[in-house]
Amino acid sequence: MKLNRREFLALTGKTAAGAVIFAACGLPERELIVQSPVDLPEDLVRGEDTWYATSMGDFSNGDGVLIRVVQGRAKRIQGNPDHPITLGKSTARYDAALQILYHPDRIESPQIRYSKSGNLASASWDAAEERFEQALANADGGLTVVTNPIRGSLGLVASKFAAQFNGKHMAFDPVEQGVHHGAVKSVLGHDQLPTYDIGHAHTVLSFGADWLGTWGAPTGFGVKYGEFREQEHRGYFIHAEPRMSLTAAAADLWLAPVPGSEGYLALGIASEIIDEGLASPQNVAAFEAAIPGGLSGISLDDVSARTGVDVDRIKKAAHHFAEATPSVAFGGGSAGAHTNGSFNLGAIYALNILVGAVDTKGGIVSNPGSALDELPASATGASFAAWEEELAQWRAGNVETVIIRGADLVHGMPNSVAVQEALEQVPNVIVFGAIHDDTMDYADLVLPEETFLESWGTEIPEPGPGYQVVGTQQPVVGPTVSYDESGLISDARGFGDVLLAMSDGSYGRNMEGVVRSALSDLHSTGRGSVSASSAALFSNGALQRGGWWDTKESGESTIGRVAASAKSAQYSATDSLGEGSDFHLIPFHSNSLYDGRLASTPWAQQTPDPISSASWSTWAEINSEQADGLGIREGDVLLIRSTSGEIEALAYPHPGVRPGVIGIPIGQGHLNGGRYAEDRGSNVLSILVDEKDSETGALAWAATQVRVQRMGRRVKVPKFEGNVEARPIEPGVPVLVVGIGESAEHAQEENHHEYQKQFIGKDKEAEAHD
Amino acid sequence: MTTAEFGAHNWGMVVDVDKCIGCNACVIACQAENNIPINTQDRVERARTISWIRVERYWEGDFPDAKARFIPIMCQHCENAPCEPVCPVYATYHNAEGLNVQVYNRCVGTRYCANGCPYIVRFFNYWEPVWPESLRNHLNPDVTIRSRGIMEKCSFCVQRIRRTSRTARSEGREIADGEAQTACSSACPTSALNFGNFNDPNSKVSKMKEDKRHYTLLDQFGTDPNVIYLAKIDADKKVGAGEHASHG
Amino acid sequence: MQQRRELDQVYTNRKLLNGQLDTPKWWAPTVTILGIGVVIGLFVIATMINKGLGVTGLGRPVYWGLFITTFVFWVGISHAGIMISAILRLTQAEWRRPVTRAAELLTVFSLLTALVFPLIHAGRPWRIAYWILPYDVARGIYPNIRSPLIMDPVAISTYLTGSTLFLYVALLPDLGNLRDRTTGWKNAMYTVLALGWRGNPRQWKMQTVGGILLSALMLPIFVSVHSIVSWDFAVASAVEGWHSTIFAPYFVIGAVHSGVSAVVTMMALMRWLWGWDDFIRPEHFDALARLLIVVATGWLGFTFLELIFALYGQDAPEIALREMQILTWPWNMLFIIFLLTGYLIPVPMWLFKRVRTNIALMFWTSILVNIGMWLERFLIIVPGLARRTPFVYTWEAYRPSAVEWTILIWSFAWVTLLMLLFSRFFPLVPLFEQKESQVFTDDVMIGRAKVPAIVREAE
Ligand SMILES: Nc1nc2c(c(=O)[nH]1)N[C@H]1C(S)=C(S)[C@@H](COP(=O)(O)OP(=O)(O)OC[C@H]3O[C@@H](n4cnc5c(=O)[nH]c(N)nc54)[C@H](O)[C@@H]3O)O[C@H]1N2
Ligand code: SF4
Ligand code: SF4
Ligand code: SF4
Ligand code: SF4
Repeated sequence: MKLNRREFLALTGKTAAGAVIFAACGLPERELIVQSPVDLPEDLVRGEDTWYATSMGDFSNGDGVLIRVVQGRAKRIQGNPDHPITLGKSTARYDAALQILYHPDRIESPQIRYSKSGNLASASWDAAEERFEQALANADGGLTVVTNPIRGSLGLVASKFAAQFNGKHMAFDPVEQGVHHGAVKSVLGHDQLPTYDIGHAHTVLSFGADWLGTWGAPTGFGVKYGEFREQEHRGYFIHAEPRMSLTAAAADLWLAPVPGSEGYLALGIASEIIDEGLASPQNVAAFEAAIPGGLSGISLDDVSARTGVDVDRIKKAAHHFAEATPSVAFGGGSAGAHTNGSFNLGAIYALNILVGAVDTKGGIVSNPGSALDELPASATGASFAAWEEELAQWRAGNVETVIIRGADLVHGMPNSVAVQEALEQVPNVIVFGAIHDDTMDYADLVLPEETFLESWGTEIPEPGPGYQVVGTQQPVVGPTVSYDESGLISDARGFGDVLLAMSDGSYGRNMEGVVRSALSDLHSTGRGSVSASSAALFSNGALQRGGWWDTKESGESTIGRVAASAKSAQYSATDSLGEGSDFHLIPFHSNSLYDGRLASTPWAQQTPDPISSASWSTWAEINSEQADGLGIREGDVLLIRSTSGEIEALAYPHPGVRPGVIGIPIGQGHLNGGRYAEDRGSNVLSILVDEKDSETGALAWAATQVRVQRMGRRVKVPKFEGNVEARPIEPGVPVLVVGIGESAEHAQEENHHEYQKQFIGKDKEAEAHD
Repeated sequence: MTTAEFGAHNWGMVVDVDKCIGCNACVIACQAENNIPINTQDRVERARTISWIRVERYWEGDFPDAKARFIPIMCQHCENAPCEPVCPVYATYHNAEGLNVQVYNRCVGTRYCANGCPYIVRFFNYWEPVWPESLRNHLNPDVTIRSRGIMEKCSFCVQRIRRTSRTARSEGREIADGEAQTACSSACPTSALNFGNFNDPNSKVSKMKEDKRHYTLLDQFGTDPNVIYLAKIDADKKVGAGEHASHG
Repeated sequence: MQQRRELDQVYTNRKLLNGQLDTPKWWAPTVTILGIGVVIGLFVIATMINKGLGVTGLGRPVYWGLFITTFVFWVGISHAGIMISAILRLTQAEWRRPVTRAAELLTVFSLLTALVFPLIHAGRPWRIAYWILPYDVARGIYPNIRSPLIMDPVAISTYLTGSTLFLYVALLPDLGNLRDRTTGWKNAMYTVLALGWRGNPRQWKMQTVGGILLSALMLPIFVSVHSIVSWDFAVASAVEGWHSTIFAPYFVIGAVHSGVSAVVTMMALMRWLWGWDDFIRPEHFDALARLLIVVATGWLGFTFLELIFALYGQDAPEIALREMQILTWPWNMLFIIFLLTGYLIPVPMWLFKRVRTNIALMFWTSILVNIGMWLERFLIIVPGLARRTPFVYTWEAYRPSAVEWTILIWSFAWVTLLMLLFSRFFPLVPLFEQKESQVFTDDVMIGRAKVPAIVREAE
């Protein structure tokens, strides 16, 4: 009998599956397709769906996902149940990536600007490659490759490519995490970000980081949070952040410290623990050794005055943290984004030493190094100080060629560094991307880039799960033909593939090759979740599964010392800014747009913000009582000025912000970015001032003070909640709240009694809220 | 006895409000799975958005004691659904598996059912849904695109239930517990949303709904929903007489 | 004490047929203007059906707005017909005679207009007939008779059929009269329509018996139509302010209030426009106003009963709704206008006979009543939906769009146009009724005054 190709592959597929040993939980049978329809058009069975395992490239920490493909079109992005980080779960950002793949404004073909003052013109890939080669020809020593922080194979290729031309590879992250990397390195000795065993902790104490929404590995953290709540002793969660993020909203105890005082808050908690004798003497000794200057001069009253958090709350946090163990403390986000950021995060991480939570169940879990020496397992944006230096080089004309991908410098950098001017001085600016971004306005060559759904790669999630993981990324769809079949939606190529084509070939000819050779290296380690008799079968197994991991390979901490940097935060001045009230600006990642990389997609634009329920716009969160005092009402257009510039935003007062703090989401205010993003909202990053962390030189992005003024206009905030402040109309409706061990029935009965009792006075109360 | 109890399956959802973090992953998963039209800014401003599942945020207290509480709300698939008897054309009815079903083809768009539903989870298509041609590539071929003028609402991802039962039938077996998952429940990172068969006493959801935190929304209407909520826990809430606080 | 001229039959015939035989000068221009307005309205409706209900101001959760309000309003107006013709006929109220036809006409035309609203309010009007008719015997999917939206068309179409028959039976003698006074195509038309009316005793007897039987048949319909319309709301247990057990009588009595007021408005217009001072006389206004005082007061009682139920029941959501309806801007403004126009201004005025017999004042007060009654429906329907529900994410207001207002105005133009067109071909005051009343009338000398009295043959 003659087998057709499809039947043949089905058979080999089964053999491969037979040869591959999968550890851990049951394998969803649906993902048993080795490879995408790009190579196997026979997989297109009308009406049948196929699920491919891959990794989310530039989004969400390299999360392992399954893509549902029907008839060669990607339909859904879901967590991969097998992947150690995502465990089958999602964030609000996953599916939005589909809309980049099929975006109506995807860049169709390469574009070349023939003179700096000219316009971009469509060109063929041949012409583009020629232009690229020219740019490289005299770039020796004058080449900078700028990317988002990338790990895995793509990170490897970018670094090697830069090295081949004696250039640099610099990563850009508008909301720098460098302080965080530095703090875990100095306090715990980790080269990679650690993870937290939230699922087994009885107390979680976090600072500044929106870890359930946008920080670290939110999908994985979310899963662990579910486990944390499900424990027999329902965990107690304390979160400190000046503005209520969705993470703060999930906390049992929310502390709202003065921005930049988080380190003191941590020390205050520590001093209470030590004074009350809640920690073992060895731990106390180890802790004090880790804090430069120890705890001398730290009194609760002093801490309370500095942080603006009352003493009772600090004590309560301290007692839970030290008594309901295992407990874990971590921080990041705005807590580290100050001139004293390293001190803040250092002090926070040091709390783990005090309760013996380092490398223990329910505590901090260190991550091992990369499974393959070559593949970078950690990446962070270059510090703001390094960027200022680099831009000075560009401006001085010392850099011949800049290659940019995954980093919208013009949108992401504060006005004060004038990156546009620097870009104008670079003879060859080459920008990759799927949709026109603000940096491309300064590009000499724009190259349409494949999304992660169309390209090859390996992804090492950071923070990892506490053991070695190499996730795989493969094309799950082929080039998509436009509806009228006049051509491709986008004639895109992979960033890695283009670099490799331009390279000397010594580190690979194309990304598929690079990935397969990495997988073959993994095969030869003889460890981990996939074992097969041959490298080819191993490679199939890993691709089927979405990656390879070795649960036995873990890391170890070496306790060090908190950086002896400044302890008090410096903020920018506002004296020169004219009229208005002073606020402390806390920018935060949008839950759906993230830092703006998803702003081009309607799904991310329309997703309601968890706290304000706003969408499609830029709003400013301020304390509702303070707003009343200032006569600011919801929808008032506010002019927000810093020494670095000004933006407009719609006022959204609510009770979950510290008075004096103004929270503004990052991600809008693009000049380009397709029909859904263009000229929408404002870019809060542009008005950040150039304060830096004194230790790492990272941008202190939460150190900006602004002056806020009403513009006199008022518009409707595009939000999902109705037109009254959302307060339950009666207790328990619709969100019923019970105490520990209390039954719903009992709570309902109690609510009813309370309600009846207050009935006559109810109208007054309701009025007060409306 | 409700209709669904006679069948092999009584599909239902258990929502553990204590675990919901308000992340909206469920909302966007539902949008993508069910071909829900783009909620443009105009639609948001005019309260015409379509969101088969929504996450509401309620405020309690004021700074610094302010608390934000989230609750996801989708069609409750009421066994005694007030939306059903008012529909003149039987475009919405109850099936034997506990689903409140919407037959788009029959619906004439009176919006009467929407007035009847106390949970306000029914959505009317004021405009014809449009996507730029290229975005139509991601539309789910298993789910009808609703034309303008008709009602739509959470279907418990009936297309997923059907696919799963078809697969099980072709393999000559029963649907395993947890095998049929809705888009929202499979997205929810904290497992606040749990989908399963209430007719199977051993299913995860059957066990979960025995939790003493269980309640149903607006039970005064007697709608007998197939979505069961587990109350939010406030660790610092003082529990009154008749109920002693204990760990657990 | 009324005095009136003695009218001979020739004068009566000539005067009452002036609409058909020598059309007033204002008729043609007015009809033209209204016609243009109606065409514009129809164009707006067509555009709305073509583009979708997005052109309205509706959203979530205010799914019903101006259209349903106006639907209920016109159904309410239609109650004039039965009230005046059937009930007053059965109770032998003689003063009803000159206004019966106009009232019946108003019934038929307002019902025809009312029916348009649920139709255009639906998302897919073109599907309605297809699904609602029990077409699907083979598959057994009948329309859902539990839904008030099925009972509505049944009740209204019954009412429409009954009213049309009623109108037609009463028109027969006048059609005969017209046939005899016209030539050419008009004569041909009246000949067909008159169904061979010769005015012989047998025909008269059948006509009278038919009229009485139809009156009796219409009585249950009178109660049912607005009761059923009220169930559109009363069965929606989830909507605060809708699910009320008193809605049926409340709606019916409100309908009479607005319907009879509309008849007053129309009577004033007929008197002015066709110069029927001798037929539509102050005593008719007087009688209708007395009726209205009773009806309006009963209706107001129901309005307050609603509020009392809320307060007595201490039902929080219901109280919240009333709070919004009565105390919150802009509803409070609407509520005050509604109370003032629906009751507080007109009814106390009607207590004075000088007002009751002043045609201009009666005209304007009756218009006020209908402004109030329209607002009443609006205030029942919209705040119930726009209220603060337990789910505050759906708490939204409603502002009707220009399209909705245009269609509302269109409906008035449309009803007026139909009336005027009718008046061109058929008498608005039934000649035979008028003459019959003259026959029954005698003048009784009381002192020196001649006082009209009604005489009846002994049965
Ligand atoms: N609107 C409309 N509907 C119709 C008809 C019509 O005229 N109009 N005609 C009807 C008639 S007569 C028929 S026969 C049916 C046909 O209906 P189907 O049987 O659905 O036929 P196709 O559309 O050809 O789809 C067959 C599928 O099998 C895939 N396929 C091709 N080769 C192989 C193979 O070797 N192995 C496997 N597993 N799959 C393969 C193809 O890619 C395709 O997806 O449609 C019926 N339905
Ligand atoms: S929740 Fe609403 S739409 Fe769903 S079944 Fe119940 S009444 Fe109907
Ligand atoms: S909108 Fe559709 S489903 Fe709802 S009642 Fe009307 S016809 Fe039925
Ligand atoms: S069950 Fe399906 S349709 Fe319903 S809300 Fe969840 S995802 Fe949407
Ligand atoms: S996905 Fe889960 S946790 Fe997130 S909002 Fe929905 S129900 Fe809540």
